[in-house]
Amino acid sequence: MNSDPNPSNRPQEIEPIAGSARAPVWLFVLVAVLAFWGMGFLDNHGGGFDPLVYKPYKSLAELKADQPRTGNDAFRKGQKVFESYCILCHQSTGKGLPIQYPPLAGSDWVQAKDPGRLIRLVLDGIQGTITVSGQQLTGAMPPWKENLTDEDIASVLTYIRGNQEWGNSASQVTPDQVKAIRGKMAGRSTAWSPEELLKVNENE
Amino acid sequence: MNHGPLIFLGVFFALALSWFGLVFEPQLQLGNAQPTTNVVNTAELYPQRRPGLAKQGLDVYRSLGCASCHSQQVGQTGRTYDVALNDAGTNRAAVVGALLKVMPGATAAELEKLVAGPVPLKVLKDVTRAVADAAVGKLEPTGAKAEVNVIPTGPDIARGWGKRRSVAEDFLFDQPVMLGSQRIGPDLADVGSRLPVAERHLLHLYNPKIFEKKSVMPPYRFLFEKRKIGREPSPDALRFNSEFAPERDCEIVPTDQAKALAAYLLSLRADAVIFETPMTVAVATSTNAPAVSTNAPVAAATNAPAK
Repeated sequence: MNSDPNPSNRPQEIEPIAGSARAPVWLFVLVAVLAFWGMGFLDNHGGGFDPLVYKPYKSLAELKADQPRTGNDAFRKGQKVFESYCILCHQSTGKGLPIQYPPLAGSDWVQAKDPGRLIRLVLDGIQGTITVSGQQLTGAMPPWKENLTDEDIASVLTYIRGNQEWGNSASQVTPDQVKAIRGKMAGRSTAWSPEELLKVNENE
Repeated sequence: MNHGPLIFLGVFFALALSWFGLVFEPQLQLGNAQPTTNVVNTAELYPQRRPGLAKQGLDVYRSLGCASCHSQQVGQTGRTYDVALNDAGTNRAAVVGALLKVMPGATAAELEKLVAGPVPLKVLKDVTRAVADAAVGKLEPTGAKAEVNVIPTGPDIARGWGKRRSVAEDFLFDQPVMLGSQRIGPDLADVGSRLPVAERHLLHLYNPKIFEKKSVMPPYRFLFEKRKIGREPSPDALRFNSEFAPERDCEIVPTDQAKALAAYLLSLRADAVIFETPMTVAVATSTNAPAVSTNAPVAAATNAPAK
């Protein structure tokens, strides 16, 4: 039957066909577990895909926090503010100048338990005769609310209140405290007098 | 082949994915990197282009296959923190009071002596960042100037191969980048600041055994010319100690290639403080001893040039 000597006349072999088989369930589980592990690994070691982050740092935030710097930022910033605005009258020693500019070092006004009056007099200025640590001084301080932000005022007050080099060691002042008082005193346009300021409650 | 399109797509996506991960994404991240400013000296851009001779030296380095035995990448595995007191200020009593809180187990009398002594004073060593920051926070209000020192650590840094890890920025102007993969010799990422004298490198290329008896590095004598001394010795001629010197009437003069290679080695410095690698540069008067290099004594007293 199939005896035709010409091979091209014989029936051709059928081309092989790949069938389909059900993949085992464990393979899907394995792939899923590997993908999960891989994502976790990328998350831990990828540095957030930031080109600046290298081992041993894990994120940009960690790297930023690790830059060499000095520690107490509010205090250090307050020193800068003090040196640009306050140092002219109150001097680098914090002792002020006799008769006119009151001392900050050892001052009962500066080291008050709550900084309410201090924030007010920095915001709107003060004019008149003031008694500081038993010393009588007459002069004027300009208002600073236009020039200094809440953060500036808070840090400079933190600096003068906590400056142990001057012998002061009162609590810190936060920008929120300054913000609250600035809000309350928004309408005020005149400088305080010491007597008026003494009537204000410290912790308000 | 009844699954032809499926196989094609599978291969295509596998290749596309690795292309994205290995070529495209790194290009997005680092492709348009620019020189940054040195954190310590903010007016200085880093990195600088290599000077012309050093750039030619890169080609010599490449052609001699230096990169097959020397890597140029320093690794870093961690970092530690020290707290240093840089200035004790004027109110010594307050500083001592703060130090008492910061340094456990120290007495006031000891601390007073320490504070009166030379600065910078290492207040704390090997602490966490939080402890270091808290200590500085306590010291600063006293008028003292304290600082958190960041010190990179790792096996490579312990060997003295660098002060910090290598980052992409270090290789910005190099074409090609000679990263290397094997470390038969020491890492060269920071060799220019480790051994800052050109003649030291030239002598080492001429005969590595001068500085390291057990060196397996081949001598590169063909980079030098041995010739009879003419009327006067050449100013470039190498100065040997007696053991390795050539005959009395001969001198060894480096060729242009050797000079270029030495200039390239001198230009290999990865010691700028940039944002990616925070570290505190040791002050000259600091007690930190310079790290000792394992493979090359810096003070090669007998061979060092006179100037």
